[in-house]
Amino acid sequence: MERVDFRDQISNNKLRSYFLMAIIFVVFVLFGYVISFAFDPGFFFIIMIISIIFSLSYLLISYYNSDKIAVASVGAKLASREKHKQYYNLVEGLTIASGMPMPKLYVMESFQINAFASGRDPNNAVICVTTGALEKLEKRELEGVLSHELSHIANYDIRYMTIVTVMVGMIAIVSQIFLRSLWFRSGDSRNNGIFIVIGIIMAILAPIVVSLIQLSISRKREFAADASAVKFTRYPGGLVKALKKIQVGHFPEEKKVSKAVAPLFFSNPFKGWGSTHPPLEKRIEVLERM
Amino acid sequence: MALIWWILGVVLLIAIIFMYYYNRFQVLLNRIDNSLSQIDVQLKRRADLIPNLIETVKGFVKHETSAIKAVTEARKALVSAKGVVDKVKADNKLESALKTIFAIAEGYPDLKANTNFLELQRELASTEDKVAYARQYYNDSILTYNNLSTTMPGAFFAKLYGKKEREYLKITEAEKKPVNVKF
Repeated sequence: MERVDFRDQISNNKLRSYFLMAIIFVVFVLFGYVISFAFDPGFFFIIMIISIIFSLSYLLISYYNSDKIAVASVGAKLASREKHKQYYNLVEGLTIASGMPMPKLYVMESFQINAFASGRDPNNAVICVTTGALEKLEKRELEGVLSHELSHIANYDIRYMTIVTVMVGMIAIVSQIFLRSLWFRSGDSRNNGIFIVIGIIMAILAPIVVSLIQLSISRKREFAADASAVKFTRYPGGLVKALKKIQVGHFPEEKKVSKAVAPLFFSNPFKGWGSTHPPLEKRIEVLERM
Repeated sequence: MALIWWILGVVLLIAIIFMYYYNRFQVLLNRIDNSLSQIDVQLKRRADLIPNLIETVKGFVKHETSAIKAVTEARKALVSAKGVVDKVKADNKLESALKTIFAIAEGYPDLKANTNFLELQRELASTEDKVAYARQYYNDSILTYNNLSTTMPGAFFAKLYGKKEREYLKITEAEKKPVNVKF
């Protein structure tokens, strides 16, 4: 496996984040363009203005509230210091080891052993673990998992992944709206058939392409986060044991988790749904060589 | 005319490079100082927990005065130690004295089950973890600083600004291992 320096990884992630945001914006405007021609070119300017305003506000709102959106979408609650003392202590230790600010800590109800991190930068980050992880993992194992999540924050993976998630959600919404609106189209036969076809093709293809992007990007990141997790704890054993516990455990699929946020998680919350994560065996193997 | 602009541009660029390296050194040195104080904070927290622990243990264990005394002494040494190396050494002594106490507690079921005692034990273990992490970060910060100040072109600026290589915090023995108190 090629080695990536952390600083390169970070600037890479920042750059790609901005690039993606620009792409989202362009795609959105393009959608508006096609839609306006598909329906009525007379409304071109109005539709364009609306789509620009909508896409900008969608991007900005989700960028600045990504942590809250992610936490709310899985129904997680703020962890209390009294009840989850070990959780707090472990993360505090890890922030000392990594020199990072303390993220906000959340807990979500679930039998699965899982966790995720979100936010736009280390100063506005959250870590969320499942109650299953808190109950079933030993101290060092939990520490390994938390360290993995903290490295997602340190590497700015959270920003990038959040923006990708936002993009997936938005494109899905827009293509749905477009496809459905075709039903209500007035039956006049102006010369806009070609735009309707383009629109339909875009509406069908865009979500697929975007999910493929989403799948490919999150796998590499998991290896990188495992590696930096070990850099913080200097103890691969904890993470290995946690991964093995997830491997042998048979947990019911998580119903509350939207598929859009799956790549944010420590291990895939769904069975057999694409591969947002590299196989556990592979991750364990790489860690055991460290 | 164009030549003047070129010269101005080059001068500005050089000034920026000089400033960049100066700031970089300063930032890294500040980080080292800050991580050093972080070790201090955690050690102090540890020392603060001890009197509480002693009180709790004394309530259950009447005859093991020498072990209790050893902990009190070690704490005193830790509080009065000057310099981070001495402090960490004192902390190591405290650690082994605590091990004896926790081993003794084995023979006292009431003490072992005492929530206050368990709580303190957990706190002590977690502060010990944090001390270890703070030391790790301190050494990491020194590594970053030393890498910059001993490789080119940083080495040139280090000499210019009179920045010297820093020493790692070296304390031998089984320091990385956290206390394992098994019941």
